[in-house]
Amino acid sequence: MRDQSRDSQIERAIARAFSGGRYSRRVFLRRAGKGAVVAGSALTLQSILAACGIGPGASGSASPSGAALVGGGEPAGTLVFANWPLYIDVDDETGESPTLQQFTEASGIEVDYQEAIQDNQEFFGTIQPALSAGQDTAWDMIVPTDWMVGKMIGLGYLEAFDVAASVPNFVANASDKYKNPSYDADNRHSVPWQSGITGIAYNPELTGREITGFADLLDPAFEGQIGMFSEVRDSLSLALLHNGVQPKDATEDDVRAAADILRDQAPLVRGYYGNEYAQALADGSLAVTMAWSGDVFQLQFDNPDLQFVVPEAGGILWIDNMTIPKLAQHPNDALAFMDFVYQPEIAAQITEWVNYICPVPAAQEIIRTHAQEAVDADDQETADYLTSVAESELVFPSEEMLGNLHSYKVLSEEEEALWNELFQEITQG
Amino acid sequence: MAGWLRRHGGLIPYLFLVPGGLWLLVFFVLPMLTMASVALQEGTLGTGYRFTFNLGVFPEVIGRYDDQFLRSLLYALVVTGLTMAIGYPMAYTIAFRGGRYKNVLLLLVILPFFTSFIIRTISWKFILADQGFLLGTLKDIGILDDGFRLLATPIAVISGITYNYLPFVVLPLYVALEKIDYKLVEAATDLYASRAQAFLRVTLPLSMSGVFAGSLLAFIPAAGDYINAELLGGTRETTMIGNVVQTLYLTNNDYPQASAISLILMVGLIGGVLAYQRILRGQELTV
Repeated sequence: MRDQSRDSQIERAIARAFSGGRYSRRVFLRRAGKGAVVAGSALTLQSILAACGIGPGASGSASPSGAALVGGGEPAGTLVFANWPLYIDVDDETGESPTLQQFTEASGIEVDYQEAIQDNQEFFGTIQPALSAGQDTAWDMIVPTDWMVGKMIGLGYLEAFDVAASVPNFVANASDKYKNPSYDADNRHSVPWQSGITGIAYNPELTGREITGFADLLDPAFEGQIGMFSEVRDSLSLALLHNGVQPKDATEDDVRAAADILRDQAPLVRGYYGNEYAQALADGSLAVTMAWSGDVFQLQFDNPDLQFVVPEAGGILWIDNMTIPKLAQHPNDALAFMDFVYQPEIAAQITEWVNYICPVPAAQEIIRTHAQEAVDADDQETADYLTSVAESELVFPSEEMLGNLHSYKVLSEEEEALWNELFQEITQG
Repeated sequence: MAGWLRRHGGLIPYLFLVPGGLWLLVFFVLPMLTMASVALQEGTLGTGYRFTFNLGVFPEVIGRYDDQFLRSLLYALVVTGLTMAIGYPMAYTIAFRGGRYKNVLLLLVILPFFTSFIIRTISWKFILADQGFLLGTLKDIGILDDGFRLLATPIAVISGITYNYLPFVVLPLYVALEKIDYKLVEAATDLYASRAQAFLRVTLPLSMSGVFAGSLLAFIPAAGDYINAELLGGTRETTMIGNVVQTLYLTNNDYPQASAISLILMVGLIGGVLAYQRILRGQELTV
């Protein structure tokens, strides 16, 4: 997307705001999703019907360890791929994705690409009935967030593969930060698609000072202008880090202590937001708020004053991963695609459009080259845009920033129930 | 065929009920039974759910979420009162004073429905934002204090619900008022009723069917609303029971509790409607 103009930026922003697009990448049923209440409840009903009496892994699904590996075979020529909205490059003119087209040209594999994931839990609800019954989900590749990957591995819902043999480009080109993650040892079931940071954004005009850490979210001076996330993992993890606890090491006592902080903070909080926090930050209702890096990078095009910081005590690096659900029909095609997008040139092409953190460090230099090419072609606007992508810490975080980012804890079912219960009591009474 | 129809003609009205009946059976009765069954199950997503006839879930959720239940009922009552206060004069004016503009005015009433519910509510966020069009202007000219805000307060939530359900109240009121033969009102005034007496003793009683239908069409969805509470509220102080159900279903995967709350809400509303109907007994119900 080298001809990306400012106008198409704005169009994309509007499309996002009203179609439940990028902002709604992470949280269920917000914005447009709300319009789809009927669809949502139908999905829920489906999962309930399936939930009646059928336990997970009742049949068919193998245990996580000792499972047979997929891969090594010939691609079948088809890939059915479920991803989040606005999460792949799209050519403004044709509406097609150059990456998908190039993949089809190179491999002969046709991709049925669907923006089917609005939220981890909700999407899980749509495939859980099939998985628990030991049936194919109809998807060959899905993109859950790291903690959901951990949960699905635990339930035996993901195919395992030999990443070194099947996705060599990942081994060659991915940043070390993405290898052997805590939620999936040795990347046996997943390789990252894109990732982002949960941190703090603020409007300097309203705060009147620099914001540096989670303590600023607890400052009574900002009463009524503080935004928090309604996502339990994000909010509790930042509070845990504030207490000096790594989320992955959190014990029950740690979580209760973190919840105490959030409970005390509640009277100061304006609201517990999903994607709508971005609008509240943009329109001046919030002075300081928890935030996702990709959103703030976008908002800065309209208001360059807005700032994003990783809290001093640490932020969260969340990772959305390409995975193959159990019994997928075309696992070899999925692996071929994973390998394809880990070529730096392709990774750069996707990052230029989606603006999230690219797992391939070499892509930065390629985007710089593209910017220089735009300068040579006398297209200053595109050059400026590409430079801002290549040089942004929100797209290519510095080592220092990455060193201060931590992962979500993969929760057991009991822990998840406890976290949910503690947090719901804070946000909903 | 003709002979069969002659012999069994009495069945035709029932045949007409079949499509709607089947629809309700598949999309209302069956889900209801499923919901009732789920409410009585215990378990988790990971270990599966098992039917244990756990009636204890009902007192449990009532005790745990009593604040949210009461808040929803309170909001719904206030919304019903507001929609009536705004909608009745509106419907009255259109029905009796609309003249040849009646159709245009009615179109204006339903015009918002041409836009999605969600977009309308999001627009309210823009309008009510702290530095937005409305509050920003009032703050600039010094009418409001700088710290004043509406979003994330009960006022914003109630206003949003009122706005969204106002047309549902105006339309049945209009239908009821429009049917009234204005000669009856004239007759009352001829018989020395004042205008106020004529309204209270002729127009209002004749429009009660509209009041009944309109107030139910506002109250029932308002009690179950969660979108306004989330988009315009979003705090502990504005959480309605619908938000709790949403969280329990989609985030916590606690299907039994969510189903139990839904059942309680529904049974409560049906009970309320029956009582309300009894109070307005004898009124013909037309929508």
